[in-house]
Amino acid sequence: MIAPALLKIAVEALWANRLRSGLTLLGVIIGVTSVMTIISALEGMMGAIEDDLAVLGPTTFIVTKAGGVITSHEQWMEMMKRKPIDQKSVDLVSEGCELCERTCARVSGSARLKRGNNTMRRVFIGGSTFSLVDIVDMEVAQGRFHSYEDDLYRRRVIFIGDLVREELFGDADPIGKTLRLDGTKYTVCGVAKKRGTMFGESQDDFAFIPYGTHIKQFGAPGSRGIRMLIKAVSLERLEDAMDEVRMILRAQRHVPYDKPDDFTILTADNILEALNSITRIFRMGLIGISSISLVVGGIVVMNIMMVSVTERTREIGIRKAIGARQQHIMLQFLFEALVTTLFGGLIGIVLGYFIAESLVGMLDMQISPSTFAMVAGLSISTGIGIIFGLYPAMKAARLDPIKALSYE
Amino acid sequence: MTLIETKDLWKTYTMGSEQVHALRGVTISIEKGEYVAIMGPSGSGKSTLMNLIGCLDTPTQGEYYLNGKRVSTMNDDELAGIRNREIGFVFQTFNLLPRASALHNVELPLIYNGSASADRAAQAESALTKVELSDRMHHKPTELSGGQRQRVAIARALVNNPSLLLADEPTGNLDSKTSIEIMRLIDDLHRQGNTIIIVTHERDIATRAHRVLSILDGQIASDEVTSEDRRTVG
Repeated sequence: MIAPALLKIAVEALWANRLRSGLTLLGVIIGVTSVMTIISALEGMMGAIEDDLAVLGPTTFIVTKAGGVITSHEQWMEMMKRKPIDQKSVDLVSEGCELCERTCARVSGSARLKRGNNTMRRVFIGGSTFSLVDIVDMEVAQGRFHSYEDDLYRRRVIFIGDLVREELFGDADPIGKTLRLDGTKYTVCGVAKKRGTMFGESQDDFAFIPYGTHIKQFGAPGSRGIRMLIKAVSLERLEDAMDEVRMILRAQRHVPYDKPDDFTILTADNILEALNSITRIFRMGLIGISSISLVVGGIVVMNIMMVSVTERTREIGIRKAIGARQQHIMLQFLFEALVTTLFGGLIGIVLGYFIAESLVGMLDMQISPSTFAMVAGLSISTGIGIIFGLYPAMKAARLDPIKALSYE
Repeated sequence: MTLIETKDLWKTYTMGSEQVHALRGVTISIEKGEYVAIMGPSGSGKSTLMNLIGCLDTPTQGEYYLNGKRVSTMNDDELAGIRNREIGFVFQTFNLLPRASALHNVELPLIYNGSASADRAAQAESALTKVELSDRMHHKPTELSGGQRQRVAIARALVNNPSLLLADEPTGNLDSKTSIEIMRLIDDLHRQGNTIIIVTHERDIATRAHRVLSILDGQIASDEVTSEDRRTVG
């Protein structure tokens, strides 16, 4: 019954001191906005990475010499000493693994692509067997990916990313046209569907050539080895397929039964997990730093509340004389702090969301309003209102009515 | 029926190493419906006595019963409740909230006793009508004359139908013409059955009351009934 009346008194007091309340509000808004911007942007970035990894598909896994989360120098040194995955491993897996639907070898390099006067430097050139297109989610926009025959005869055909097409061919139809890869002539067989950008970097500046052609062009993969992309027959058998591959490779590489694997198997899930554990620290750090501005906002609230209590000592005396209990005075001032921080929190959430969206928009990422960020923003700002408003409110509530009434 | 009964009230303040006795054993009894003036020079302890009677403070020693309730041992919140229900204050400096309208000022005691919003407005309006300010309800104190402000304060003191109207130098900040006007209003309130205690150092004001308590050096120096009209209600 009394609380709504006290809330009204609090709002009227805030309104009567508009400039001061506005400045306090600004302090809270800046704090909440910065935290919201960071949380929203981080969530958006993680979302983008997750989308990107979804390209791998849930049933696909990668076998590589070294990878995953490396947490120590020793681990890194151990990985560097490992034998590379070689052609024999690929052959053994593709012949021996019953639960593997498709197996594909992939090597990588980088080269300069040139057509006429248009040149692109340091373009990622993947070399893979024809089945790659069935394993990863790479859609063909025009033409085709290379075929079994292209692999077999080591034909000089090239499948290009959308950015490569745009830079080298512009609006012209590239299929059947030629380009030069480090001076060697290749014929374009197909173009990949546009994938867009991530972190402001295009995802379309790549090209793939047949596996055999890649070996001929760039030489044997050497110590970096081959990366195997394997698609299991089904999601249910994914773990079993990974075990089968593990058995085959351990046998081939003569790993004693009591030693760990000397190669790494990665799935989209564990890549994501690794990424999460890295970003968690990053995330905590960023949120921690931006929280400082929230604390500053809280101190502004407290400071103003202290001034307000001192300034209104006489008012408090009058209220107490006519029967206000301690809790009534306390609620009145706590409401002032809470209304300020809640209102500031709401504005901060909206602002933070839009800032995050425009920031992320520059990087071409999708960002959705995060419930977590909103709940966090509101509870943080409410918490600040209570924590920093409590002391001034208690100070007001405990004033001696006689002293307060004679305060000048 | 006895409204106020104090037994051997002492109030001692410690100033540095010195103990100052503002009241030294005050025993008084005031009936319902009385019109009492408390007189005394400054420093006599009359303000301290008023604070104790008004439940703004508690005695160091002694007992105080208001309307049969022992208030001398109550805590801060219990005293607030008593002030809200039993006592209406009128101060020398009016003590109105400067930013609030007359109506809102009068409503205040009702907020703290938990009255519903609609009841509050109706009661406050009726109290303001009683002090003939129905046409000034939405004015702020700064837009009112001194006499009008004091009448708003009186309306606020009466809005809760308290057992006691406690006025501390109610005409101290007013010119003589307005003082008479306010005192007439207080006289009227007494005639309507309100118990009134008025603290003053002016003889003319005190003579309007029917009983004058003089206080000197923290003790009752004299207690004289000045009018046969000392009446008891209930």
